[in-house]
Amino acid sequence: MKRFMIICKMELLLFLRDFFSLFFTLIFPVMMLLLFGGIYGNSPVFPGARIGMMDSSVPAYCIMVTGVTGLMAFPLTLAGYKEKKIYKRFDATPAGKKSIMLAQAAVNLAMTFIGIGILLAVGKLLYQVQIRGTAPAVWTGLLFSVAAMFSMGFLFTALGRDVKTTNLLCYLFYFVMLFLSGATIPDQLFPDQIKKVAAFLPMTYAVDLMQGIFAGDGLSRYGRELLVLGAVTAGCAALGAVLYRKKDWT
Amino acid sequence: MAQAILQVEHLSISYGNLRAVQDVSFSLEPGEILAVIGQNGSGKTSTVECVEGLRRPDSGFIRVFGMDPWQRRREVYRQMGVQLQETEYPSKCRVEELCQLFAGFYDRPADWRTLLSQLGLEEKRKRPVSRLSGGERQRLSILLSLMGRPRLLVLDELTTGLDPQVRQNMWESFKNIRESGVAIVMVSHYLDEVEALADRILYLEKGRELFHGTQRGFREYVKSRIPGEEWQENCSLEKLYLMITPRARGLTLESISSETRQRD
Repeated sequence: MKRFMIICKMELLLFLRDFFSLFFTLIFPVMMLLLFGGIYGNSPVFPGARIGMMDSSVPAYCIMVTGVTGLMAFPLTLAGYKEKKIYKRFDATPAGKKSIMLAQAAVNLAMTFIGIGILLAVGKLLYQVQIRGTAPAVWTGLLFSVAAMFSMGFLFTALGRDVKTTNLLCYLFYFVMLFLSGATIPDQLFPDQIKKVAAFLPMTYAVDLMQGIFAGDGLSRYGRELLVLGAVTAGCAALGAVLYRKKDWT
Repeated sequence: MAQAILQVEHLSISYGNLRAVQDVSFSLEPGEILAVIGQNGSGKTSTVECVEGLRRPDSGFIRVFGMDPWQRRREVYRQMGVQLQETEYPSKCRVEELCQLFAGFYDRPADWRTLLSQLGLEEKRKRPVSRLSGGERQRLSILLSLMGRPRLLVLDELTTGLDPQVRQNMWESFKNIRESGVAIVMVSHYLDEVEALADRILYLEKGRELFHGTQRGFREYVKSRIPGEEWQENCSLEKLYLMITPRARGLTLESISSETRQRD
């Protein structure tokens, strides 16, 4: 455990030194919150609604944070280590590459929750954002969403032969999902054709799930969302693991 | 006779249809240095990667401290240090942070501060690894290979990128390390280095073991393989090696000028 903590400490330092990861995980979502909060405030989403604009946007921005770490920071770190044969060097120590990969996942998870924590704190402080759902429901929703995003990122690193290919897959999926899932632009504004495309994106289900839970709905209303996110997690993690086993690390 | 630290018997490795290593055998005892030599693509790195447990052989028997390095890699690495031919470290990691990290992998790590000083890297301890020169990075790799106080060291191209002064110092260091009972497998293209350090030589060509034995034995081997008039007594190991190694085709001026003409 001590060895694992030493690796985590190092990976955390490296994460904090990476401007891209730090900015998009901790700062950019808050900037989005301040921008749209400044425009709309937390006024009701429609006249008479009990949910405010920011009450609805903050859970979507939380999913944006999971996307940054799960689909960008985590997989691109993995791909870089793989391409530069850094994992191979760690495999030639008593620690092994698996403990490095686990530490990288742990650090990215921790940063995800810190990013979400900052977002919620700013939302609460400036716009009195309310979480109406229960704590277990919020945590379940977050964990399903995080697991789906991270497992997709993991699969992309297994599919990509090099950093370039992994970069392409990650950027493509992240930005398409970011704009079409409702994470940045409310999906109520989308035409039907776009909504049909969005229905194929795992992030859409994560955004719907978190917005529902934040609005006070129980998990039982989101069986489909939980099922989709669970299936994405299981499928991507299993396929990624199979592909990784076949990879030549030398 | 001391018990072998490393045993390799009938090792074979293939990449698709290419038979990279065929039926190679050797062993190593405490305090011995074995040099693996041969041209590029002769199977040297593939062979040592199997010893390091980083590559699974197609067939053959490998035991490091009596353990299969592929199956029990973690345990083997408690007592084995390696310097890989081609490796990088996280670029934003500083030298001393990398040392601390590697020290954390071992129960009884070496004093890395002393090693930094001995390898002339003390002033670079706060520097990110990406800003080290090639030679400095090589010295850092050597330092990290020594971090676990290994009983077996596997060094793939030990002094590549080092200046002559540092190379000489490194030889002296590894002679001392050998004296302490550490066994060393070194892959090298520098035959002066092999001559200075190696007790035994493993000579590979196209994946086949052409010679395995002492330096004196290698001289006899070369003598038996070349016409008598070409033989020179007391010549360097490098000259001996060149006598039996197939000549590589060189770059000719004609090829460059014809290319130029075509472009014109």
